Amino acid sequence: MIAVLDFASRLLVWLLVAPLLPGIINRVKAWVAGRQGPPVLQLYYDLARLWRKGVVLSTLASPGFVAGPAVAWLAVVAAALLMPLGSLGGTLSFRGDVILLVYLLALARFCTAWAALETGSAFEGMGAAREVSYAVLAEASVITAVLVLGVQSGTVSLAAMLGPSAGTGSVLLAVGLFMVLLAENCRVPFDDPNTHLELTMIHEVMVLDHSGPPLAAVLHGAAIKLMLFSVLLVQAVLPLGDMRAATAWAVLVAGVLAVTVAVGLVESLLARYAFRRVPLLLTTGFLLCLFSLLVAWKGGSA
Amino acid sequence: MLLVAACAVALSLLGAVRAPRWWLASLLVGSFAALIAGAWVLGAGVAWEWRSAFRIAGEPLHLRLDGVSALFLVAVAVVGGAGAAYSREYWGDRAHPVSAGAGRWWWSALQFCMGLLLLCSNGLHFLMAWEAFAISGYFLITLDRQKTEVRSAGWLYLAASHAGTLGLFAFFALLAARTGTWDLGPVRDQAGLAPLFWLALVGFGVKAGMFPLHIWLPSAHANAPSHVSAILSGVAIKMGIYGIVRFSGWLPSSAGTGWVVALLGVVSAVLGVAFALGQHDIKRLLAYHSVENIGIILIGVGFAMVASVHGHPAWGPLALAGGLLHVWNHALFKSLLFFGAGSVVHAVGTREMSLLGGLWRRMPWTASLFALGAVAISGLPPLNGFVSEWLIYLGLFDAVNQPGAAVWAAIPAIVLLAMTGALALACFVKVCGVVFLGAPRAQSAKGAHECGLWMRGSMVVLAAGCVAIGLVPVVFWRATHSAVAAWQGAWGGDPAPESLATLGLIHLTLAASAVAGAVWLWRRARRGGCVRGPTWDCGYAAPTARMQYTAGSFAGIITEWFAWILQPRRHAHRPEGVFPRHAFFEEHTPETVLERVIEPVGRGVMLVSGLARRLQHGSVQAYVLYLIVGLAAVAAMALAWCG
Repeated sequence: MIAVLDFASRLLVWLLVAPLLPGIINRVKAWVAGRQGPPVLQLYYDLARLWRKGVVLSTLASPGFVAGPAVAWLAVVAAALLMPLGSLGGTLSFRGDVILLVYLLALARFCTAWAALETGSAFEGMGAAREVSYAVLAEASVITAVLVLGVQSGTVSLAAMLGPSAGTGSVLLAVGLFMVLLAENCRVPFDDPNTHLELTMIHEVMVLDHSGPPLAAVLHGAAIKLMLFSVLLVQAVLPLGDMRAATAWAVLVAGVLAVTVAVGLVESLLARYAFRRVPLLLTTGFLLCLFSLLVAWKGGSA
Repeated sequence: MLLVAACAVALSLLGAVRAPRWWLASLLVGSFAALIAGAWVLGAGVAWEWRSAFRIAGEPLHLRLDGVSALFLVAVAVVGGAGAAYSREYWGDRAHPVSAGAGRWWWSALQFCMGLLLLCSNGLHFLMAWEAFAISGYFLITLDRQKTEVRSAGWLYLAASHAGTLGLFAFFALLAARTGTWDLGPVRDQAGLAPLFWLALVGFGVKAGMFPLHIWLPSAHANAPSHVSAILSGVAIKMGIYGIVRFSGWLPSSAGTGWVVALLGVVSAVLGVAFALGQHDIKRLLAYHSVENIGIILIGVGFAMVASVHGHPAWGPLALAGGLLHVWNHALFKSLLFFGAGSVVHAVGTREMSLLGGLWRRMPWTASLFALGAVAISGLPPLNGFVSEWLIYLGLFDAVNQPGAAVWAAIPAIVLLAMTGALALACFVKVCGVVFLGAPRAQSAKGAHECGLWMRGSMVVLAAGCVAIGLVPVVFWRATHSAVAAWQGAWGGDPAPESLATLGLIHLTLAASAVAGAVWLWRRARRGGCVRGPTWDCGYAAPTARMQYTAGSFAGIITEWFAWILQPRRHAHRPEGVFPRHAFFEEHTPETVLERVIEPVGRGVMLVSGLARRLQHGSVQAYVLYLIVGLAAVAAMALAWCG
């Protein structure tokens, strides 16, 4: 009974809190630009409206066009449920769950790219090609970050990995993971979530033809993914496991908020990079994770 | 059971040419019996041995079925049976009156030889079975030998295969000379035998298609009929892996070989998928993915060898179990994908992906089964590819956390394995998208038709295998565990990792909720009103099918990163002037190792031999001159020596 309650409350937290994050980012951007900006809860209104709407399907699309966003959403939610939350720990903590988490995100990527190619649109083909190509570098950074945590804690289980702090290399790891967060969640300087009519897009262009409930699933999934990466970043860097339960919760919430604000600030102050330089930037993120790994590995033994 | 299997397959040889139904029935019975035998050995964890009283070629027949060979025998049985059923429709008598009968005969021969190869525990008989197996493979590849490219692919296969066999001849002969008997078995205590493994690695490595030795593989797999490609890629190249696993377990282990196998595995994995991304031919692309998957298997095997030398019983079995489970997984999903590609070729008549598109409408079964295979081969949960990669990852992560030299190799291996996964995902999104989704790019793709019941049925069987290993991995742990225990006795006794059961549970939940979620979203979308319209395409008014992303453009970003090894050839005519009349762009990725290394070396050898041939021209006077010059040289040497 307690397990069911625990599971349900986690699910509710992820589903209900996640759409808040893009709202906060937009608010920060509006604040920096001196605009009033959309309400913080805008995404909730959008999701509710989209859910009630009908859909327009391309004549070329197969049932996979709707199944893609559904499976992608499920994969992201499943990954989120594997993530431990502060002192609560994970729902189903087991050896090797971290690898499952990385590959669930890959499954989501496969489904989104599949749905994009359904339409036969050149734009969406382009977006899917870029997404899966840049993900190769992002995946290398993520697995290196996982290695850092594994070396630190000596385990392959998320709950044990995220408890202690990342040690001396945590600053490097934080910057590296932050770059991965920006790339994976299609944020400036890798991508621009605001425009989708330019040839410079990655993620937004993949979902051009979605509408109604499938688009709601895509947007909600993206919000959960952003929150997932923020929670991962905060827990990887800060030693939440050593704190008392209430403090840990407060620190987690404050940390996620800080990451969100930082994303908003980066978005306001930086311009999007030229596409030629995106791989370089991603490689930088990977190298930062790699240096952090060296620090964790050799620093631990010295 | 094995006797039943052998008799049934032998009977099928008799009926192959004239009686296709009889052939299929007896082959299926034989495969099923072999499957039962293999499953029994794996389930009970015991070995079966038999020595004959009579002698063949001066040696008594010695058969042995233990965990390692049973694991491969099951793959032979499953893929062989499914492929036979597939070929009934794909390469039938009506479409191929000349070659269909021969194809059936050689199919039985191939399956029989592979079974024999796995059972033989005598070096001499092993070599015989190996040679017969290689030759039946040649005749299957060249079934369609009216075509020039098929003949040259077959020739390349035969040449490479024999180059490998040369290494094996040396290996078995030296082994027999050192041990004093042709009988094979564990000789771990004779440390002097360790260097022989290098010969075995080269000989078996050619057959397995690991990276620098894979030159024959892409053209052979692409030009063979699809059911032959499936068995070649799914099972035949695994015979090379079998050899490596078998003799790394039997010979005394040295640290160096383990490192080299793991390194070759990593190189094959990354470069295999990089070459696959550069391909436009769907079967050639799948062939390069075999190189990638062989690499993943070798990573597992190589790290297990390192672990056994350094005495780490904790993570070695995990890596080996992952590698061996990947043998099954690759056999299942790669054969499924080749069957899918075959039914596309059957329907459309071309392997060129840039001429396809939108096939899902005409071929819904093939499209969805191919998609399932694509998810499995990309190593995504909840299917089988993920389970074996997950086991390898667990082994590698444990290696990182143990003190020892293995950390140096495990860290790059983990990072590159993750990148391989992401690259494979990119590649299979490309294949599925370009072949099955979007709009047809050419007229031929519009007239496609779905394949019939036999082809569909054999694909469904393989897909069911992929799903079963993905959803209930614990059941299959038993099998790989018997094989691991047979590889090295000291590693027996590990129960399934507890987390494997949890993983299976999550996979089940994920699969069930994915189906439910997709159906629910589809219903929800329809309830609000569903309008069909042309693809929006940012408001472009007159889109044509030619504007879609092609295979080449989709993979362009990644092939650019790997241009240093892929060496793509580009022919372009840029649009020039105000009203450009004519423009085209063409890109082709050659087989770099073959064209840049093997062919120049071959030309060099031919040049030297050509020069040497000038000495041989048949004129007696010149030969007399050689004699005199030779004698004079000997005399001069003798004089100089004495003086």
